[in-house]
Amino acid sequence: MQMTTTLRRLGVAHRLGVAIIVSAVLSAAPALADQEVEDYIQAILDEAEPFLDAPDQETQFDGIRQLVDKYVDMRRIGLFTLGKYARRITPEQKQEYLPLFKEYATGVYQDSLSTYAGEKLRVTTSIDRSERDIIVNSEIIDPEPGSQLATMVVHWRIYRSRDGDLTIMDVGADGIWLAIEQLEQFTSVIANNGGPPAGIDALIVDLKEQLAE
Amino acid sequence: MTIKIWTLAAFLALTAGAAHAQISDADEAAAFAEDLKNDGAADQGDANQDPWEGFNRKMFSVNNAIDGAVLVPAAKIYRATTHKKQRKGLRNLLANARMPGILINDLLQGEFKRASQTAGRFVVNTTIGFGGMGDPAERIGIPQHSEDFGQTLAVWGVSSGPYLFMPLLGPSTVRGGVGAIGDVALDPAVWIRTDAASFARYSRAGATGLALREPLIEPLQDIKDNSLDYYASIRSFYTQSRKREIANGRTNYDDLPDIGDFEEFDELE
Repeated sequence: MQMTTTLRRLGVAHRLGVAIIVSAVLSAAPALADQEVEDYIQAILDEAEPFLDAPDQETQFDGIRQLVDKYVDMRRIGLFTLGKYARRITPEQKQEYLPLFKEYATGVYQDSLSTYAGEKLRVTTSIDRSERDIIVNSEIIDPEPGSQLATMVVHWRIYRSRDGDLTIMDVGADGIWLAIEQLEQFTSVIANNGGPPAGIDALIVDLKEQLAE
Repeated sequence: MTIKIWTLAAFLALTAGAAHAQISDADEAAAFAEDLKNDGAADQGDANQDPWEGFNRKMFSVNNAIDGAVLVPAAKIYRATTHKKQRKGLRNLLANARMPGILINDLLQGEFKRASQTAGRFVVNTTIGFGGMGDPAERIGIPQHSEDFGQTLAVWGVSSGPYLFMPLLGPSTVRGGVGAIGDVALDPAVWIRTDAASFARYSRAGATGLALREPLIEPLQDIKDNSLDYYASIRSFYTQSRKREIANGRTNYDDLPDIGDFEEFDELE
């Protein structure tokens, strides 16, 4: 009798398990952890720790710039932020735009990441949007209770090239992504200045002005 | 003092009290997928979602004129004349006064667990939190979240409609605007028709404005300084954070714009 009950319970548990797995596969198909990419980001976070611990902003900014140069694919992001206009930029414009973009975006990274000065981040989960497009989530270890950053999830978007090389494509916090915000700004500037090629020239002028400030 | 762009994200979450939640089990993942199906691509923050851009940009500049001339100076005075703890107390008080409206929206959305949290917060903070000045509910682990009628409409499947920017009310959508009217009607204080109640209502509106604007002085200035197109930046921050809020704190990764395969460009060069 007891045996039957146990078996029945096991059966229910088993069925539940199958149901959970099936619904997880159906509803969140890309939600497979990607250990390689998680390790990649954790290593970068560990590398960032000494800079972020530095008391002065100059050291923090220098350190973030070095990491950005090493791991962030600014060329790809620069083209991504042009949205549908990426295919219409002329080679001359591209040659001028990409270095300006890199400088601008590095500044945004410095500003955003130095928010985490003195904190230590840890990778929590990862989601494969596709084999080439992976999201890694991280959070602050032992945050100050009640701090605004305490519950914040920092997302990293990683691109895996055909050769298997990993680069950082975007950084976000609580669902707000930097490159997506730049994409929306830049396409707006281009569209409001008559579209390409004049709109892209206007964007280049705006970037120069922004960097000169 | 450099204030960082992301503090805005924190404050959007803070002022709205967006709950921090992640997909922890399959049921939740399914519910999440359901939530987002209602919203889907309609909420993409692309230019097509802003057919009223001309009007919105005008309203945006009207807003910024009022903001620079009145709100920011008032918020600075408010900051200079109050202590951090007092401001926190006021924010708590105002947040607590919003709980009945949030509770109604929780229920309308069928989010019963969140409804019980809202009711619990209201009771705890109104009693041992001295009418809402303190937030003991947070300490005993009842998380705060925000709901409004615009979000309820979203959950019901009403699509967002065009992006809409209104002076003083800030970024929204047509759905959000209709929702805001709904929230006024859902607010019990609106239906008390005495002079004292009106006075209280206007004071509360003024206090809410100051309490919301004060912590945003630096983050908004920072975004303005870092933007090529301030209007487009705010629109993007709004649409991105709103999407997450409607999904009740669960982040969706499916509808991000694709990275794009730029290798073919390399081959051309």
